[in-house]
Amino acid sequence: MADEPKKTEETPLKIEKAKEISLPSAVLALDVSADGKTAFVACQDGGVFTVDLEEGKHELLGKHESYASGVLVLPDGQTLISAGYDGVLQWHDVAARKTTRRVKAHEFWSWNMDVSADGSLVASVTGRYDAGGYKYEPAPEREPSVKVFDAKTGELRHALPHVPPVQAVAFTPDGRHVAAGNLMGQVRVWDTVTGKQTAEWSTPDLTSWGIIKSHHYLGGVFAMTFNAAGDELYICGMGPMRDPMAGNGTQRWQRFTWRDGKRLDETHDGESGQGLMEALAFHPSQKLFVMAGRLFQGKWNLAFFETATGKNLHALDAKHRITDALFTADGSRLLLAKAKGQEKKNKEGKWPDYGLLEIHSVRMPA
Amino acid sequence: MAGTGALSLMSWGGLFSLPAFAEQAKRAQKHCILLWLCGAPSQFETWDPKPGRPTGGPFRSIPTKLPGVHFGELMPRCAGIADKLAVVRSMKTSQSEHLQGIDLLNRGAAPRPPFIRPTLGAVLAQQLGHLENPIPNFVLLDPCPEGNEFKEFKAGNWAGWLGAQYGPVRVGGEFKIEDVVRRADISSEDHEARNALRRFLTKKFENERRSAAASSQNAVFERVKGLMSCADLFDLEKLPAKDRERYGPAAFGLHTLQARHLVENGAPFVMVANGMPWDSHVFHNEIYQMLVPELDRILFNLITDLEERGLLDKTLVIAMGEFGRTPWINQARGRDHYPNAWSLALTGCGIKRGVVVGATDEDGVDVAEKPFSEKNLFATIFTALGIDPYAAYDLPDLPTFHRVEDKAEPIREVLV
Repeated sequence: MADEPKKTEETPLKIEKAKEISLPSAVLALDVSADGKTAFVACQDGGVFTVDLEEGKHELLGKHESYASGVLVLPDGQTLISAGYDGVLQWHDVAARKTTRRVKAHEFWSWNMDVSADGSLVASVTGRYDAGGYKYEPAPEREPSVKVFDAKTGELRHALPHVPPVQAVAFTPDGRHVAAGNLMGQVRVWDTVTGKQTAEWSTPDLTSWGIIKSHHYLGGVFAMTFNAAGDELYICGMGPMRDPMAGNGTQRWQRFTWRDGKRLDETHDGESGQGLMEALAFHPSQKLFVMAGRLFQGKWNLAFFETATGKNLHALDAKHRITDALFTADGSRLLLAKAKGQEKKNKEGKWPDYGLLEIHSVRMPA
Repeated sequence: MAGTGALSLMSWGGLFSLPAFAEQAKRAQKHCILLWLCGAPSQFETWDPKPGRPTGGPFRSIPTKLPGVHFGELMPRCAGIADKLAVVRSMKTSQSEHLQGIDLLNRGAAPRPPFIRPTLGAVLAQQLGHLENPIPNFVLLDPCPEGNEFKEFKAGNWAGWLGAQYGPVRVGGEFKIEDVVRRADISSEDHEARNALRRFLTKKFENERRSAAASSQNAVFERVKGLMSCADLFDLEKLPAKDRERYGPAAFGLHTLQARHLVENGAPFVMVANGMPWDSHVFHNEIYQMLVPELDRILFNLITDLEERGLLDKTLVIAMGEFGRTPWINQARGRDHYPNAWSLALTGCGIKRGVVVGATDEDGVDVAEKPFSEKNLFATIFTALGIDPYAAYDLPDLPTFHRVEDKAEPIREVLV
């Protein structure tokens, strides 16, 4: 890298790893209770767990028939919704420790989900990548790629079209719009009241067609989030590669005004290494945001960016792939969902844990 | 070489100019289509799923037409014709790197420099082909000009000690057979007259000078003449639209359809590849959700079509790569190289259908029953095609080599 991120001691922002909690399988998504005491995680073994952040103990809340890919707690603090590669959305009662509703949302995976800030809507995105052309351009969808449900009743509100696979979804802070991004870097935004599409644009900077080993597409938008004002959308993934199977695209976020699809900013030259970025989260102060994922080459897979300038303030190598990240409501801690490489069975004939929930303390500038 | 197969390349001079004999030979012709799944496909998402196990991945398994046998959920069409397939779930080979693995599974034995063993395609071109066949005896369909280790392998010597005439003609994507269409300003009569004059003069030169170079050039002209007569077979656009719809629209399917078309027209051996897309060190599940359904559809259509055309009994179809993939998922959400326990599928000529041979343990970590090596596999392929697997190569300055070394047994459970 030509321009290395500043070291910890040179910046007023201070990040310190405080705790690491082991889980049986890779953690693919997380949320945290309003008081910051309990985390909720979705795991590769299909398990949806509560995690006591003080004790470090986890408890099974529900189970998907395939990977659990998303988990979010509603504002009531008692209802948890999870999504899975079984295409099912599950509602869980946190206090009663039981699953209360199952809705078959998709024939294929739920790649990603989001819940509106007021807890009224839940969106889930899907789509199998089928070859649609000689160069493996994605075929049209077999089922609606984006679905919006009533979070209270589980009733379907909207089934919205996109080009599959659709891998990321996010509501505006007011819940009035929902955005979804796909493999090809295409972003669509809909009005959640009318179901009408209100914006669409495409970025070629997050997808690849394989030249070296694989003649097909790979990559796309892996995470997205709106700013607090709700007028800008941030997305992330990795830059184009000659060999998508290498996973060595540039670590990249991009920032757009979503109504016109105008790109305002992106990861600055010299501030990135290589690797897929799959988590984006704003600090409650909105002064900075974090992007995280996997490090292929470079020095970091977790970086903090100044919202006003897009500048990389601080970055570190968190050692393992980060699948999700979020700040606690008071902004004092950053939670990371992580996936280690699965190891061989140990001498006792058991498969070692390969999921981690990591807690970092965050000290913001005065 | 002792023990050649039903059709030998060496002694057919001129016979194919007799239409009746050519037709008879076409009926007797055996073929082989190798769907080369380069990069090494995962056994877990295809032939040997382990749903619910820590190694199983996100995909479920589905029942097949064979009681108690399950395939990965991404292969519903193949599950429906499992009674037409032979699946080997217990391949256990020694090479875990691509170049070495590709070499091993294409030649059937470890290298012994400086001698270069011919690839399966070259051996079958020699054993099943004939020089007068206008269609090349070994066609490689692969549109990917790059391909890392496969690119390196492709640049190497495919025919080995058999000689370059048994090497592949490569077509696909930007690889086209050039100059096989007669110029529009030359009539066919004029073209034939010119060729006859060239042939007369060069043959005279060849005979008078006893020139190997002239002989070789004449052979090339004859080959080109043959290619000119079948140029349409290499044009994807000229394949029937309905077929293209069933196999396509992507490159691997269309080239598999082209392989079927070539076989229908007498090609002995066609290898279909598409770079090395199965090498899923990252994004394994994300890519397999596309690749495996494509393979499922292509295999189903190919097998069904060959059967409907009465060609399946004399066409051996093989779907395999150079090894399998790890039971464990790495942190880049991929599976890595794994030669210890992997699967492949066969059907057609000489193959018993509706059998699953061998087994792996509950997590797919190791072979639990009947491990088979590349030598067992090659002995199976040759036996199925009626070719003596243990014949010795009898070539000048060559130590004794056999088609399959060490008298390795074929996988008898899959042989008719």
